[in-house]
Amino acid sequence: MNTPEIIFAAALAFCLAGALVSAWAPSQWAGRILAIFGTTAATLLLTGAAAVIVSHTSVSLTLWRLPILGRLRLDVDGISAFFMLALAMSFLPACLFSDGYMRRYIGHYDPRAFNIFFHLLLGVCIILLSAGDVITFLLSWRIMSALATFPITLEHRVNEHRRAGYLFLAMNEAGIITATFGLLWMAALAGGHIGFSALHAALVGTSPTVRWTLFLVIFFGFAVKAGLLPVSSWLPRAHPVAPANMSAILSGCLLNFGIYGIVRFDAVILPPISAGPGLLVLTVGSISALVGILYAAIDNDMKKMLAHSSTENLGIVTANIGMGMVFTAYHLPMLAAIAYVVAMYHMINHSAYKTLLFLGAGAVDQHAGTRHMNQLGGLIKRMPLIAALFLVGALAIAAIPPLNGFASEWLTLQTILRSEDFAPRFSRVVFGLCGAGLALTAALAVTCFVKAFAMSFLGKPRSTAAASAAKPARSAAAAMAFLAAACVVLGLGVTWMIPAINSAMRPLTHDLAAQALNPPFFNNATARHPLPAAFEKSFTQLGARIGAGVIPGRGLVVMHRGGSANPVVYAMSTFYMAGVLAIIIFVTWLGVRLLTRRRRVIVGEQWAGGLRRLSPDMTYSATGFSNPIRVIFKSIFAPAIRENSAVAVAGHFRTAITQERDDGYIVDRLFLRPLTATASLLSRALARLHRPAVVNAYAAWVLLALLLMLIINRIW
Amino acid sequence: MPSWFIKGLFSPVKTTRFPKQPETAPGAVPGRPVATDFTSPEQAAHAAAQCPTGAIRAGHISADVNLNQCIYCQRCARTEPPMAWKADYTWARRLRANNLTPQPFRKSLHIRIVDTGSCDAVIQEIKQLSKPYYNMHKLGFFITPTPRHADVLMVTGPLTHHMRLALKKTYDAMPEPKWVIAVGGCALSGCVFSRGFTSAGTVLESLPVDVEVPGCPPPPMAILYGLMLLAGRVGEMPSAKPTIMEKA
Amino acid sequence: MNLHSNSAVGSATNERKSLASLLPNVTLTEPANLAAATIAAANLPSVTAELVKDFAYRAATLVVRSYEKTFTLDYWFYSIDGSPWLRLRVELPEGIRELPSISEQAHAIDWHERYAEDLFGLTFTGHPKLGDFVLHEEWPEGANPMLSDFDASALLIDKEVDPQWQPEKILQTSGAFVMPIGPVYSDYAESAQFFLETVGEDVVRMIPRLHFKYRGIEKHAEGQAFDRAVLMAERFSGSSAVAHATALCQAAEMAVHVDVPPRAQAIRLVAAELERFRHHLAILSDICHSTGMIVPSADVDILEEDALRLSARWAGHRYLYGLICPGGVSRDFSAGEMAALQSGIEEFSRRADRLRRHLEITSSFLDRFEGVGVVPLANARKLGLVGPIARASAWATDLRIYRPYGFYGVAAGIGSPPLEAMESEGDGYARIRVLFSELFTATEWMRRAIKHLPDGPIHKALPDSDGEAIGYVEAPKGAAIHFLELSAGRVKRWQITSPSFVNWHGFHLAAENFAFQDFPIMMASFGLSIAESDR
Repeated sequence: MNTPEIIFAAALAFCLAGALVSAWAPSQWAGRILAIFGTTAATLLLTGAAAVIVSHTSVSLTLWRLPILGRLRLDVDGISAFFMLALAMSFLPACLFSDGYMRRYIGHYDPRAFNIFFHLLLGVCIILLSAGDVITFLLSWRIMSALATFPITLEHRVNEHRRAGYLFLAMNEAGIITATFGLLWMAALAGGHIGFSALHAALVGTSPTVRWTLFLVIFFGFAVKAGLLPVSSWLPRAHPVAPANMSAILSGCLLNFGIYGIVRFDAVILPPISAGPGLLVLTVGSISALVGILYAAIDNDMKKMLAHSSTENLGIVTANIGMGMVFTAYHLPMLAAIAYVVAMYHMINHSAYKTLLFLGAGAVDQHAGTRHMNQLGGLIKRMPLIAALFLVGALAIAAIPPLNGFASEWLTLQTILRSEDFAPRFSRVVFGLCGAGLALTAALAVTCFVKAFAMSFLGKPRSTAAASAAKPARSAAAAMAFLAAACVVLGLGVTWMIPAINSAMRPLTHDLAAQALNPPFFNNATARHPLPAAFEKSFTQLGARIGAGVIPGRGLVVMHRGGSANPVVYAMSTFYMAGVLAIIIFVTWLGVRLLTRRRRVIVGEQWAGGLRRLSPDMTYSATGFSNPIRVIFKSIFAPAIRENSAVAVAGHFRTAITQERDDGYIVDRLFLRPLTATASLLSRALARLHRPAVVNAYAAWVLLALLLMLIINRIW
Repeated sequence: MPSWFIKGLFSPVKTTRFPKQPETAPGAVPGRPVATDFTSPEQAAHAAAQCPTGAIRAGHISADVNLNQCIYCQRCARTEPPMAWKADYTWARRLRANNLTPQPFRKSLHIRIVDTGSCDAVIQEIKQLSKPYYNMHKLGFFITPTPRHADVLMVTGPLTHHMRLALKKTYDAMPEPKWVIAVGGCALSGCVFSRGFTSAGTVLESLPVDVEVPGCPPPPMAILYGLMLLAGRVGEMPSAKPTIMEKA
Repeated sequence: MNLHSNSAVGSATNERKSLASLLPNVTLTEPANLAAATIAAANLPSVTAELVKDFAYRAATLVVRSYEKTFTLDYWFYSIDGSPWLRLRVELPEGIRELPSISEQAHAIDWHERYAEDLFGLTFTGHPKLGDFVLHEEWPEGANPMLSDFDASALLIDKEVDPQWQPEKILQTSGAFVMPIGPVYSDYAESAQFFLETVGEDVVRMIPRLHFKYRGIEKHAEGQAFDRAVLMAERFSGSSAVAHATALCQAAEMAVHVDVPPRAQAIRLVAAELERFRHHLAILSDICHSTGMIVPSADVDILEEDALRLSARWAGHRYLYGLICPGGVSRDFSAGEMAALQSGIEEFSRRADRLRRHLEITSSFLDRFEGVGVVPLANARKLGLVGPIARASAWATDLRIYRPYGFYGVAAGIGSPPLEAMESEGDGYARIRVLFSELFTATEWMRRAIKHLPDGPIHKALPDSDGEAIGYVEAPKGAAIHFLELSAGRVKRWQITSPSFVNWHGFHLAAENFAFQDFPIMMASFGLSIAESDR
């Protein structure tokens, strides 16, 4: 066994040990145990995954041989390692955060049970990602889904929480069944091979129709997990009810498994040979992104808002994968490589900032007593550090340079513009529409997170709970600081991330993305590698040479087409931007400082028109802030407005206007509710078939079924 | 729309030439009663008796006017023999030393108006200042909606009970240095509005007033003159000071 | 001529009979054309409901008097079809301070009841919103200024205000918030507070908080010589000085049974119409300013200042203070002065007409007013609106025509009377059209009075006797009704019902679900005065 294997084994061991210790230790220790064992396991995992990616090796371990089904194996290749990296990056702070956070449940619910499941969940996740064959994959997938339900419904005595848990379980079950069917069919087509690499080889010659069907089945199965439309109904329900560390995991890692499934089976094992599947994935991703951000923008529950925003981000990731598939189908391997790299890049970015934001929301919820933005406000005075870290997350997710969200969203939009490189008009139209949708998404994301930060942390507190919020634990700040640092590093280090992802995802990228985005001549633009004349010619204005001379390393992301005439397609550098921003901020600060040196500042009361007291409900509310969006997209939200006129009107007087507005979730309206209605209709019809106490009827049905079976058997 | 532009372009200039030339248009000011010499003590006493607010004080054979208390009922002008009326507007008075620098102060001054219970006519007359006939912007005076940007607080009205807090908050919200100009008889003496449960004291007693502009309502020219006096751009008329000073 | 007064008006012949059937003890005083009845407090709501529904009576005012610990409440009603003024009297025995509210039946009484609740300490059962009206949060408990034992000259000691105090809020929706405006706001605004309740974008409801300028003149006038009350009537709302002074003087003249010489009445008419002309120009100026149109604004502004100067040249005061006096007017005018006035007004009228025609083809101007701040006829009727605002909603209210007073009866008889300016849309543009039309009808009234100016004295002294009466005029903003009780020439009780008071009540109930940026435009097109309402 070599080093990474030992590390992975140690991580698994820590998970198991954590679960065992949790079972015996008193519940007051739950948070601390999670912080110690979980954090250690995640750190080990982080190291192991990084080692695999850096060393370009893959770890494989043959387990035992099952009769009929073949050999089970664990196989950690670059793709697995990359997803493990995201997993560890999300789990590590979530466990650390638990130290202070789990205290809120002591005395109400048993945090020990949460702990056991949480540790086991991490272990199963590791096995899931290292699965090298269909059976191991499906088994661990099933266990993972079941395990995740328990931490979500920690507060099981609340009816809403139980319902959310059931919905989560049911929808994931539907996904698993579909995926199981698809994967087993795949194995059947491959003549009984279950290993991933063998599957890939065996499926090369399958017919397009079968490929299409397989693709659809598998895509649907994993779309449930990734929270894409139209199977995202569980997302905005399960996230808010789960404890904050669990919601962070849900969004930060578990959703990624859906992407993992799509990448592993729909892109690697069954690479697309026509544009259709890719275009479908792209469309689903773009619509998910737009609808997700629309609902995020109007929701005032911090966690629900973040859940909707997860749909948005996973939508962007999926759109990138779709683009990769289309480019692959059109034989544009370099563009496909870029698209896949951007997809993965956005995914890991999302893991970083979404975990950060969920933990921030958890800290707010725990210490201010509510996560409803209309009742928050002014928290920056009570928890300045949490506010600052939340702001980093909000800026990152709103794609503000130079943070990581900007890097990947910018690349996404640039990639979608590359549709000009291929011919078919229909695909170009789809790309254009999806591009417009994604651009709108990016704009709405800014509104959404300006609201989230401003309404929660700025202004006046709108409730007494918010006004007297307690100081959060240090573990919370530490966990969030880790993620904020990750956001900055992932943002500034674009040019290091791209080659890393590129090599990790080699089966998809064939090492082409780094060549295009980080041309070697530019990466080490020293005397050893002079810039090509054409590049230099078209790029002098942007100061490429100066930049290269000043910053010793890779600062610029360039799309370089190769060839002679104007080979540069686009260029961007978060690194340079950060530098320029820092200079601007410093100069401004210095200027203001110098100019106002002699000025005396008197802090007075806010001017409110001579009003006796500016009360908290005289400041803008979260609902008010997002109301324009509600008005513009009324047809999507289809709001139900309830006005209680019995209270509102006393004769001619209006003493109270009670007007409540429920925004319906479009997915429930168009998909889930018709589906459940049909299901219950069917089940009612079936129930009517076997009336109780009519033995003859039962016998008749059994006979009929038997006959049917015989006939079918005979025909085949 | 272009028709309005053309109309505006060809409309004649109406704005007063003050302070370069005194304003003499008939009806621009109602004038004011001034100290009058009579021939007998009875006539002086009779003139004083006409005044419902006690603004006229009878001397031996003359009567003097405390303009702060005058409510422009014109009864003294319609009695026989009448008090003399003078058609001017230069009656504003400075109550504190002028501390605007440089002198005369020709930069712009921003004004926040607070109405503490005046009638709408006073507000209407102040509004006239920004209208074509008076156009105080030309002279560098501007109205601002927030006291944070204001240099001058212009107060009207007898300072009602409910407005005390708002007036104090407005004054406190103004940055230093700041000046106060009290406009209208009611801000100076309460006018016909009595002191008591609705008004504990006038503006003059509640704030450090720099310039007072009597009148009921003071015509725009008088207010403009008061502003110019505050800026030190016109001198105080000696006739503005009554020989008998009486504070209510 | 009157298009809309036909609702449930009985024919004039059986009017009195049916009134007697409703109110058995009704008495009729002929020269004053006043029907009076005393009823039990419990019957008040049902009687009011019938009066409003079947007799087309409109609630004019509520006059409360409190001497010797008992309360007398006079509910005044009037109609525009010639039936007599009606006074319903309710007497509360000692120790009783409660009676049923009638604002459900006659909504115009709503604020009068709140006023009486604050100032007299009465309780109107069934009224859903009492308190915090005239007297604000810092006013000491139990200090009811209008009670006879309240010392008006004593200074008031504020009570301790709850540090968590906040104004009432009626929008109960999650995320609803309030935009507070005032009392110190805008450039030249009078002091008042407005709470715009919203959940973002549109304002759901606007709640005004008035009486920041409450000067208690009705209380301060008590015990003063009547003469001084006239000075107060002129000065509490200077832009309608003539109207209020005339209404008060008419009340006194009726109370002590003095007939004002016809020449004085005609001069009063001229002064009132001159005031109306100037007042409407000021409102139109605010309207133009609210849209930010510089040239039309400047045009109206010049016209307004010209009217002010004309007033000063004619009567010695820009706002015509000191012209109206008890028993007549304080100065006479020569034929030359009258002619100068008329020619001036005729010229202004022509200029205003040119301006009107120009504005009516300016689409960017009309866009801001059409469909903004709509008051439907049903609302105008329900809220008992008065003045140009009511007439823009086709609600006939012009007292000059329907209940002629002073010289108006004579002037109306000269040829056909000037039409009441009426529009039916009830929006901002309808109000603008009414204001313009009234400039021209004001000119016509003046023209007639000046042409047929009677000769004779201008003044008749009032005896120092006792009496009580209602005096009313059509002030520029609408019906102004003054109740006056005199005791030996001194004011015993004076109650002002100003058109702004009535219309603010209507404005805040009419202002629902509007766009925030329309707020200044609505305010301007209603053209209400705080000073007149707060008194």
